[in-house]
Amino acid sequence: MSNLVILPILIPLFFGTMFIFFHNKLATVRLLSFFVLLINTATAVFIVYEVFSKGALILETGGWKAPYGIILIADKLSSLLILTTNIIALAACWYAGATLDEEREKHYFYTLFLILIAGVSGAFLTGDLFNLFVFFEVLLMASYGLIVLGATKIQLRESIKYVLLNLFSSMLFVTTVAFLYSVTGTVNMAQLAERVGDVQQKGVLTAIAILLFVVFGTKGALFPLYFWLPKSYTAPPPVISALFGALLTKVGIYSILRVFSLIFIYKLETTHTFFVILAGFTLVFGVIGALSTHNVKLIIAYNIIPAIGFMILGIGTFSSESLAGTIYYLVHDMIIKAALFFLAGILVYIAGTSDLRQMGGYIQKYPLVGWMFFLSALVLAGIPPFSGFIGKLLLLKGAFAEKHYMIAAIGLGCSLLILLSIIRIFIMAFWGEQKEVKRIKLKPGMVIPPLALLCFSIFLGIGAEWIYPHIQSIADGLANPSEYINEVLKAR
Amino acid sequence: MFLYYIALPFIAALLLSLFSRPHSKTFHPGWLVAIIPFVLFILFLTHSSGISEGQPLASLTNWIPSMGIQLSFYLDGLSLLFTLLITGIGFLVVLYSIFYLSKKENLINFYIYLLLFMGSMLGLVMSDNLFVLYTFWEFTSISSFLLIGFWSHRARSVYGALKSMMITVFGGLSMLGGFLLLWIATDTTSIREIISQKEELMASPLFTAILLLVLVGAFTKSAQFPFHTWLPDAMEAPTPVSAYLHSATMVKAGIYLVARLSLLFTGSDLFFLCVSGFGLVTLCWGSFMAVRQTDLKGILAFSTISQLGMIMAMLGFGSEAAIFAAVFHIFNHATFKGCLFMVAGIVDHETGTRDIRKLGGLMTFMPITATLAFFGTFSMAGFPLPIFNGFLSKEMFFDASLQTAAPSGLAKQAAPLFPYLAVLGSIFTFVYSMHLFFGTFRGKVQLDRLEKKPHEAPFGMLIPPFLLVCFIVVIGVLPNLINERLLAPAAGSIAGNPIHIHVAFWHGIKLPLIMSLIVVAAGALLSLFKRYWESIYLYLPGKLSADKAYQALLNSLLRGAKKTTSSYMTGSLSLYLAIIVLFLVCVTAGMMAATGGFAFSMADLSPVKWAEAITGFAMLLAAVATIFMKRRIAAVIVIGVVGYGLALLFVLFRAPDLALTQLIIETVTVVLFLLCFSHLPVMKPNSKPLRSKVADVLISLAAGTLITLVAISSHSSKWFQPISDYFVKTSYSLGGGKNIVNVILVDFRGLDTMFEITVLGLAALGIYGMIKIRLRKKGGMEQ
Amino acid sequence: MEILMCILGGALFAAGIYLLLQRQLLRIILGTALVSHGAHLLILTMGKLNRGAPPVLNEGIQHYTDPLPQALILTSIVISFGVTSFLLVLAYRAYQKNNTDMMDQLRGTEDE
Repeated sequence: MSNLVILPILIPLFFGTMFIFFHNKLATVRLLSFFVLLINTATAVFIVYEVFSKGALILETGGWKAPYGIILIADKLSSLLILTTNIIALAACWYAGATLDEEREKHYFYTLFLILIAGVSGAFLTGDLFNLFVFFEVLLMASYGLIVLGATKIQLRESIKYVLLNLFSSMLFVTTVAFLYSVTGTVNMAQLAERVGDVQQKGVLTAIAILLFVVFGTKGALFPLYFWLPKSYTAPPPVISALFGALLTKVGIYSILRVFSLIFIYKLETTHTFFVILAGFTLVFGVIGALSTHNVKLIIAYNIIPAIGFMILGIGTFSSESLAGTIYYLVHDMIIKAALFFLAGILVYIAGTSDLRQMGGYIQKYPLVGWMFFLSALVLAGIPPFSGFIGKLLLLKGAFAEKHYMIAAIGLGCSLLILLSIIRIFIMAFWGEQKEVKRIKLKPGMVIPPLALLCFSIFLGIGAEWIYPHIQSIADGLANPSEYINEVLKAR
Repeated sequence: MFLYYIALPFIAALLLSLFSRPHSKTFHPGWLVAIIPFVLFILFLTHSSGISEGQPLASLTNWIPSMGIQLSFYLDGLSLLFTLLITGIGFLVVLYSIFYLSKKENLINFYIYLLLFMGSMLGLVMSDNLFVLYTFWEFTSISSFLLIGFWSHRARSVYGALKSMMITVFGGLSMLGGFLLLWIATDTTSIREIISQKEELMASPLFTAILLLVLVGAFTKSAQFPFHTWLPDAMEAPTPVSAYLHSATMVKAGIYLVARLSLLFTGSDLFFLCVSGFGLVTLCWGSFMAVRQTDLKGILAFSTISQLGMIMAMLGFGSEAAIFAAVFHIFNHATFKGCLFMVAGIVDHETGTRDIRKLGGLMTFMPITATLAFFGTFSMAGFPLPIFNGFLSKEMFFDASLQTAAPSGLAKQAAPLFPYLAVLGSIFTFVYSMHLFFGTFRGKVQLDRLEKKPHEAPFGMLIPPFLLVCFIVVIGVLPNLINERLLAPAAGSIAGNPIHIHVAFWHGIKLPLIMSLIVVAAGALLSLFKRYWESIYLYLPGKLSADKAYQALLNSLLRGAKKTTSSYMTGSLSLYLAIIVLFLVCVTAGMMAATGGFAFSMADLSPVKWAEAITGFAMLLAAVATIFMKRRIAAVIVIGVVGYGLALLFVLFRAPDLALTQLIIETVTVVLFLLCFSHLPVMKPNSKPLRSKVADVLISLAAGTLITLVAISSHSSKWFQPISDYFVKTSYSLGGGKNIVNVILVDFRGLDTMFEITVLGLAALGIYGMIKIRLRKKGGMEQ
Repeated sequence: MEILMCILGGALFAAGIYLLLQRQLLRIILGTALVSHGAHLLILTMGKLNRGAPPVLNEGIQHYTDPLPQALILTSIVISFGVTSFLLVLAYRAYQKNNTDMMDQLRGTEDE
């Protein structure tokens, strides 16, 4: 029993709500938001420390013990993701102050933003499937508010699609929870895991599992469920795209990882083999998308998808090595995607267009931005010694070891094309003949957030020895769900 | 210890980047940079005596020990040869670049890239760990990319940079695949340990895949046919870079890899055939294509390709003599090719062109350069005089081609072909070498076609090629000078046992000498009558060049990507949704069928009551009716019927709280619908074509059926006692309320309710923002 | 009865999905309403129907209908309401700005 667990949800929720009342005092709100996120990050660091040194923290909300009440549980996986989320949020907060227009900021950007963080944290922390639905709705509702913030033509158009698709998948989600409740009589994830295990996931359970997979896959942008994503994610201002790209799809992936490593693990040869096949398609179609356009923002948005493919590959392969790879890749991808969206934002700002064909030669005037793009291309493509490599190495080794040769080869091939898609931005925008360019002074708030994230991601690669053993211990924990179940249900 | 050696260039690059004053008018930073390869060269030289006595050195630093990735470095004869080449030629190239690149260029960047490359290359040839080797391998590709694109405003530079990166990184990834399989098969990442498990590995089913994947890596890096196509385009790099990366060092990384792992692979038929076969084909194709080039650097590029093929072939032959000859030629090639690139740079620098059609007769203007070129080209041609080191290794190559170590079967049958290919390739080598020398320095002067009036190069620029020519001659005269110290240990570490071969100019009249003479004779004839057979190039390669294949591949990739993507990324919501629903139906139905998921049990059902059935039926009718409504108000009314019907059902099914909530919410929703719809245009008839209407009907029916089936199956599979019994029991005693649903909402699951309210609040905030916000024209980063 | 309700739930989903696949925004919004009704009905059905009294404690009554699905539906109804009202305003604003309520004219082009 530890109240600490709920803090990462409560702090942003409370302050986010507070900001409604003085949303016009922008300077205060900006500073306070950053400060709040700083506190939240510190809390997350403390939680990570506690969890990794003493074991999972559990809060039985309202004092109702599991499986009857809702429990929040910070295990190693969730606490790590909470920390990553907060680091990205910090960067985004600074970047928002430098790049958003005041009208947007005044129309509750910071409230929506902070509650989005609260919702994402809640989704990572909850140990209750229906409560997961509720947190999904919180983060989705916040994201609806954010994607339409500014109400431009494009935003309105893309928001409609975004809202409708998510509404449909949310309804499917509750229905599926109901099905699951009918069969198992519970919505607590640990008890679900126990009961599904008791009947060896027989009968209709696998079908329900797949329904759930489709729901999460729609949020997590799997093939062929991601078609709505690229354009929707590029409609709002860059900081919002960055938040979406870094956090929202990852919540979907986290849910798949959690549910299919904890609950539905008894028909691996059916479900998880299917995931591996799907991973192949996701990789290929995602990367093909990234090569299909000259729109900088779209290229970055498309690149979300092959990354998802890599993660699903790891979940499908389901060895402790490949799960470690998935988690490593997850953390890496959250950070580098945020950085890339920030960078794309700056580039579009400099160029006054998002069409690559109208850019060129910017390296002369904006060398720092150019080199950041270059580095992030290497990071994203998984060139050693950067963070992408460690995750990819584990994933591919896992895939090869489990004899998924074809898919591993696809993974290798896609790395090349990912590199091509980002290096094309570098070549077309920063090399080549110098095109006319506005002389714009870059504010520190534009440059430092992506730079900091980039440094962090390089550290994740070079300093892997400090991180990898912990990630491996998370993966070992996932591969052994009885620990989680006992932890949650011990008070029963 | 070696970590510091390798780190030195990286640290220097870092320091250099801190002093990034692009245009220093007075001081050329090259002078500072040159210190680094020089110091390293001396350092490596001090290790040579120990290594030649058979005592390799190793050092180990932890990086990611828990993943088996260690900074483990190892210096044996083979690595030493390469480190000396990297630092030695590196020093000369930096020296040369000081005079070649003007101070107006972005020199800081240039030297940063160059130092990055130098450090990576050193790391590559000393790594004992597979993945550290891979890391440095990719870094050489990247620094090469930056160096080729140094003049980044030129379209050709950018094209060449991207091409080289794509091809070499492709090879790198293939190699990574091979390394991963090696790791899985042997459970170690140390190359030495892997080689010690050779027997087990040869028996492993993964062996063939490993071999092929690693060879693709080596072939791309060393520009073997058909991956050679990036090298000619890499000539867009400044000439010192071409001399360094694209002739003496980086392109030899593939050779190094094959040499390093040849202990592991020898004895395999496939290895013999692939390496010798591709090597010889590359030798012939490269030299054949070199004759056709008009750009001095183009000739040298294809010449490099062909020479690399020759070295590769020798490694494939696998006999002791062949391995020794390969090592010898690695060294010799670095000397004469380095020299020739520098000469080409000088010619370019002093005449303003590298087009051999515009050049000619430069001997009179640039006698020193011409002399240097003479030694370079004739050594490259393998002219049989004891002052050309190139002749010595080429003759050993002929000798080796006659006595290969073909393991068995197919390899033995193919081996007799090799000498013919060797001679064929060498004839063309002779032709282009002569063409290069005589076309540039002899013949008619065409001053009017040159951009500048030619004159001899500055002294400083002549020193580096002069030093290389000294090596050509000295090694040619005294070939055993470096034998014991450098060549024998290197060959020994490739073969795994000491190799001692005495190099001599004269062996008596034997077959290799006759082959050399044939080459000279045929080559001289072909050179003299070049214009009569030149038209062959119209037919071969014609449209078959690898460059065209690369372009076609890249273009069709990009075009295909665009076509594929725009075929499904139409921005149409109904398409996206249809795909999602279809996927949902197919996958779930498939899974149900596969796992026997359908269940149907009449056992535990409540009886059908009329009131409920009629309400349900009314709802069904209303739901279907919404589809056919033609007026907004009518549509809202029927949708209201469904909503109120649901409320009625809630009453009938004993859910009073639900019924109340549903009633209120439905009422408000209907009002909202009315409000909103009155602002939207009137209902239009469904304009979709009949086919997609039918498809819509089918998709939605399938989805409905599937959901019904899963629902029925779920209801028929109640295997556990629901947890809600606990709520019934404790609602009053612990929760203090008699309305169980209320107690659940506010207490047992209070968190849900709290965030449900948050959602409502957010919705209100979003709506408010959407309506109120008016963006000013210029604000933030949006236009 | 449960079987019938499962069929009704499925039918509501089917009708809703059919409407969601239409081009006119108005019809699509109607579709979302049907889908959420279907979902709520199915949740209730999954908790078994008509087994005992309404879940309000009373002396002498042993059996109550399952209260948990009812609580879940309540939460879900309120959330759907929030989303629906947001969607309605969004539809209105999108129509205003883009001058069309036909989804096939709201596709957008690549380069924006």
